[in-house]
This record gives sequence, structure tokens and C-alpha cells, in this order.
Amino acid sequence: MTMLRSSDNLSDSVGGKSTKNSDATASANPLGTNRSPRSAQPVSGQEVSSQRPMTSLIGKAVKIKGQLESSENIQIDGEIEGDVRGLAVKVGSGSTINGTVYGDEVELAGTVRGSIAARKVVLTRTAHMSGDVIHQNIQVDSGAFVDGHCRPEFGTSDTKSPSRVQPAATSMPEKDPTKKPNGGGA
Amino acid sequence: MPISQSRALTRVFGNDAVELRPSRLGKGVIVQGRLDAEGEMHVHGVVLGRIHVGRLVLAVDGYIEGDVVAQEVRIGGRLNGRVFALKVELDSTAAVTGRIFHHTAAVARGAVIDGRMPWRPLNFFESLEQLPEKQP
Repeated sequence: MTMLRSSDNLSDSVGGKSTKNSDATASANPLGTNRSPRSAQPVSGQEVSSQRPMTSLIGKAVKIKGQLESSENIQIDGEIEGDVRGLAVKVGSGSTINGTVYGDEVELAGTVRGSIAARKVVLTRTAHMSGDVIHQNIQVDSGAFVDGHCRPEFGTSDTKSPSRVQPAATSMPEKDPTKKPNGGGA
Repeated sequence: MPISQSRALTRVFGNDAVELRPSRLGKGVIVQGRLDAEGEMHVHGVVLGRIHVGRLVLAVDGYIEGDVVAQEVRIGGRLNGRVFALKVELDSTAAVTGRIFHHTAAVARGAVIDGRMPWRPLNFFESLEQLPEKQP
């Protein structure tokens, strides 16, 4: 009990996001954690909200080996080995992506080794782009490093568009966790 | 205890020390592959693969398939895989299939656990850089 209480301010991010659960959990929670979903500030939201509603943040000390797909906006400050798909993808300065970045809007301030395929591409002055840029609309600031072809072919060829990204809910297995199978585990 | 440090973790990048904001994987995010991070990670989306993180918060709508190694884990969503964490908290909405290796644990009423919850001493977690592929 004391352990849960120490992180009460987290309850919003865990329990409060879905209102359908908050009613049930409030009554069924014997450990006394006060889950007041509206009053508590989301832990991750304090600074983020000052910019604009950023739905996903890959922080500085994060490394991902593999694919990252999103049907929402992503801010990447970490290191990714693999492809990134998102709606609006912001690659912050200091971050590295080895792979292809697909998106509707891609803003690059970090390093990409691979390619970018997006409708709107912004290469800021700290951008380092090694590879091709497939775009419809591009902005290159003075200071940006570009080594590769810039082709205005986004949407015309068979470039994979971010619309292929499925919402997360559809890809999740639909089994009901509360329905227990015949107790085979461990 | 190293656990309490995970909240306001600062690290030096280049010349400046930066306070690490918790990373967040939103609802529509699917990560396939390995995920290594320091600091805190909030998962509202789907992760298929291994996670190595300081503190993991799996939100109600999150889903993880794979092993999790962390100092501290708080689970409100569904997890299919093994958990290795010093401190484990399962909320009432949690649904875990697999073993939960822990040093201390708190389980709320309503949480669903399909698997064992073996206790391990502190040094088991300290030496846990390389995940035991065999079941320990």
C-alpha cells in the first residue's frame, strides 16, 4: 500500500486515461490509491503541452532497434535503427535514424542515414540527411546537410504512404484478458 | 536504493546536463524490435519485442509482447512476456501472462496474472544486463 501511494501522481497516466475503467477501478481498488483522473496532471504532459499536443516522444536516452509505426505524431530525440512511420514526424537535433522515415510531414533537425519519404519535408539548419528525399514540398534551411537526391515524387510513385499505418487498436489481439484460459501458465 | 532516482534522472549529453523527460509511446504507436532506454517510458501503444528501461509504465490501453527488464515497472495494461524488475506494481486493470521476477511487488485487486511471480534477491537484478534466455 505504501508503495503504491508513493507514486500516486502516476495514477493518471495509468488508470485515468480511459474513463470506462476509472469507475470500476475506483471502487475495486482496495489499495486506496486515489485515482482522480481529471484532477491529476499527466506526468508526461507538463512540458509537452507547452509546445503542442505531442502524442509520442522518443526521448534522448532511448534506442530502438526495429520498426516504429504510428498513426499519430512522433517526436524523436533518440536513436532508431529501422524504419519510422508516422503522421508528423519531428526528428530532433542530436537524434539519429538509420532507416527510412515515412510520414506526412517530416521535420528533420537531427541525422538520418537512409531516406525520407513524406509529403512535406523540412530540413532545418542542424539537419544531416544522407540519402534520398522523396517529397512533394520541401524546405531546406541554410546550414542543412543533404547528401542525396531530392525528388518530388511523393504520392506519384509507389512510395509507401503513412496511411498504411493501422491504428494500434486494430492490431492488438482481441482476446479478453479477463477470460482465463485453462490455467496452463507456469 | 536506485529505484527512487528514476524520477528526476539527469544525464549529460555533450556539454549540458539534460533532465530526461519520460518518453511516451502514444496510443497509435507500434514498435517492433528492441527498445532500450534510460529513464522513464510510458507505453500507451503496442510494443512487440524486448524492453530495457529504467522505469516502465504500461498504461491501461497499452500492450507489450516480450520481456521487460527494468528497475521499476508499473503495469496497468496487458503484457505477454516475462518481467524482471526490482519493484513491480500491478494495477487492477493489469493482465499479465508470464513470469514476474520481482524483489518487491504490489498487486491490486482485479489484476489478472497468468503465471508465477518468483522473488529474487537484489543481486539477481543488478547483474541482469544480459537477459537469461533460459528460464531461471
